[in-house]
Amino acid sequence: MLFNSLSFLLLFLPIAYVVFWRLTSKTHRYAWLVISSYVFYSFWDYRFCALMLLTTLVGYLAGLGLLMWQDPRRRWVCVIAPVATCLAFLGFFKYTTFFAASVNAVLSWLGGSFAAPRLDIILPIGISFYTFHTITYMVDAYRRAITPTRNFLMFASYVAFFPQLVAGPIMRFKQIEEELATIDRADRKATLDIGWSFFVIGMVKKVLIADTIAAVIDPALSRYAELSTLDAWLCMLGYSYQLYFDFSGYSDMAVGLGYLFGLRLPQNFNSPYKATDIADFWRRWHISLSSFFRDYVYIPLGGNRASRLTAYRNVMITMLLCGLWHGANWTFVVWGGYHGLLLVLQQRFGGLWDGLPMWSRRAGTFVLVVLGWVLFRSDNFEMALALLRVMFSWHAGSTIIGAPVLVAMLMLAGGIAHYAPNTFEVRHRWAPAGVAGFAVLFGICVFVLYSAQPSPFLYFQF
Amino acid sequence: MSGTDFPRTTWQMGAVIPRLLLVVCLVDVSLRFMSIDPLTFRAWEALTRYRPLGAAFEPNRHYSNERSYGDSAAMGNHPELRQYRHETFTTDALGFRNVAASRSEPAAAILIGDSFAVGSGVSDEETLSSRLSTLSGCIIYNAGSEHAYPDPAQVLALARNLHMQGGLILHLYSEDRELPAVPTQWQREVKQVLVRTPEWAGSFVGRVRGLITVSPLRIMSERAMKAIANDRIFPNRYDANVVKATLSTGDSMLFLASRLQNFYSKRREASVEYWTWMGAELRRERLNFLVLLVPGKYTVYRRFLVNQGPVGYMAGDYLYRLEHALRAAGVPVLHLAPIFLARAGDSVARGEFLYWLDDVHWTSRGIDLAAATIQESWPLTGPSCGGAHRSLTAKTP
Repeated sequence: MLFNSLSFLLLFLPIAYVVFWRLTSKTHRYAWLVISSYVFYSFWDYRFCALMLLTTLVGYLAGLGLLMWQDPRRRWVCVIAPVATCLAFLGFFKYTTFFAASVNAVLSWLGGSFAAPRLDIILPIGISFYTFHTITYMVDAYRRAITPTRNFLMFASYVAFFPQLVAGPIMRFKQIEEELATIDRADRKATLDIGWSFFVIGMVKKVLIADTIAAVIDPALSRYAELSTLDAWLCMLGYSYQLYFDFSGYSDMAVGLGYLFGLRLPQNFNSPYKATDIADFWRRWHISLSSFFRDYVYIPLGGNRASRLTAYRNVMITMLLCGLWHGANWTFVVWGGYHGLLLVLQQRFGGLWDGLPMWSRRAGTFVLVVLGWVLFRSDNFEMALALLRVMFSWHAGSTIIGAPVLVAMLMLAGGIAHYAPNTFEVRHRWAPAGVAGFAVLFGICVFVLYSAQPSPFLYFQF
Repeated sequence: MSGTDFPRTTWQMGAVIPRLLLVVCLVDVSLRFMSIDPLTFRAWEALTRYRPLGAAFEPNRHYSNERSYGDSAAMGNHPELRQYRHETFTTDALGFRNVAASRSEPAAAILIGDSFAVGSGVSDEETLSSRLSTLSGCIIYNAGSEHAYPDPAQVLALARNLHMQGGLILHLYSEDRELPAVPTQWQREVKQVLVRTPEWAGSFVGRVRGLITVSPLRIMSERAMKAIANDRIFPNRYDANVVKATLSTGDSMLFLASRLQNFYSKRREASVEYWTWMGAELRRERLNFLVLLVPGKYTVYRRFLVNQGPVGYMAGDYLYRLEHALRAAGVPVLHLAPIFLARAGDSVARGEFLYWLDDVHWTSRGIDLAAATIQESWPLTGPSCGGAHRSLTAKTP
């Protein structure tokens, strides 16, 4: 079920909301959140609810073990075994096919006759996110940054809470522990307006901006070999804004829904296209993921505390893994490597970059990010190279259908992304005219949703 | 985007947006109780909405549209390729497409099958059952439905309802349809329950199903989006549903993309279990059974289209294999592809077509050809035959 679907808006959400606030006890509210989250998830494929439950059980039992045992060796086993189990689930469902295909390609290239069997494994939606939720919980408990909960329903509602279940933000237990612990005292009216404000802004970003851009660029990119230079740049600029408004729109909706249920979810985007360098970009883009890789991969590897070369190696490993997390495709790995390389170059030549005027650093960072999105958007290297070739060699003309609409949307999206405050910077207390304006935009969104199947969020595939 | 502090009033997001959703919900629900006829471009949508259980359409309805057009043009959002035509569509008390008439006289044959049997895109007097009635002078009952593969129990119940004693069951199978399968015991039991369902209960279930599944608000919204997805403001995102091909005469012809894959599928299974089972069940009740194989539009017109790929080994021979298998199983069969292929060439040169350019279905010309071929190969006889104009379709509503 998608947030931008009529079944969610007109059926699931009202029922989940009304029942939640009719319940008064903590246990009942946890139970209801778990039930509604599993129902929400089962709309994709009910069979994978069992996998999510299993991951939840692994995390919960690991937490109990860490609560019970103080012996360092036992605690070590208590974190390593369940983390490895969760990563094994993730690896099997997300990467088996990819690695089998890669092994076959290498063997074929070497002239071997062996071929790994082809397994058509379905990727359970959201597995990357709820696996990471569970891992952060176990590792934080091992580090004694949190006290694991004995309440299974509380833990299950943390893992499965439907607003952030399938595409984050990747929430740490300590970020929500206090509010979960006092969920029976949550004040519905206190967060009602801000919740809807976040949700409506997210919906407008997704349905009216991201999907409108996608309606023009997706058909154009499907015939990428025919694009002119102008087309290719328009498409990649369009994709850059589409991705941002799609994912940040989703995150805003998730935050809004969190507020509606009395829980505050963390910020995931902080105007990333205002970044002045690549490190700044990663502090602003998909913050919950980049901070995960920083805290659970980069720093444990040694961070920048050792020699310069070791620090570069740590950056590259972290970014390659970050790329691989995004999808089982070598284009994502190379995209991660590209950003790793940019971060290394920044560490090496940051002084020169910092000497440039602010506007040129922002523009330069944005262009570098857009070039990275070419790899991110491409299905394979052939497509990526073809797009880069046409972007950097002159091919006249334009064949994009709907180009005027695209240009208008790029101007609007660019204005908001580069100059407007983001949703965490506004106060969400609107004058009646502002509320009326949002109501009109939301009404248009609903009308658009009536016209077709809702388009999935781009980050659902990860 | 930031605002200033305002006292909490009804003009806050938390008050306005839920109310807006409530209004949308109420508008949607209210519109569901209104007729969708003005929003439809052909009878099929208008008359299937509240069809009772076991019926093909809403009973005793008459639909008329001066500017009906083909489904492929609608699905592909190609208004420039629409072929506007007048369509009248009448249903009887049982919810099938027959012009109302007395059921005191037994029918000589029942035609079952899909939208080709129903006569999608043509008027009442042009359907296959009408044409056969006119040619043979017999009463031919049109029991075509979107559920193209009925259970023998349903057919026998209908035959009893039509006072048939002996006679013929004509099963029209169109090439692009999935192959029918023999239902499981459980499915048969469900069908038995459906047959025995009281009329009022079937109508009630049909009504509720229509209210739940058909949203006029959705239809209006889709129309609006199609109007702007016109390849000028926005790319036509519906275009992938259809394949637009050009005939050697220069005419454009639309095909459903999914159905073209059927043609090029090299090994479509040609199992005839359903028909042998159906034939045996019907024979037990002294009813004859004939399977009518109708070629798909692409099969008929492929050789007149420009820039078509090579057919390839075993592609396009599905109906021939099916015919062979049916004959081998002892099931009477009439294969229309040879005659359609032979006639299509002449008609293309004259700018006349056996199938609509903007739809997958046959035109009245194609139906006439099928009716003549059936009457020639399998002359209909029976107590109700003999007098011209005694068919169910003889009366105008």
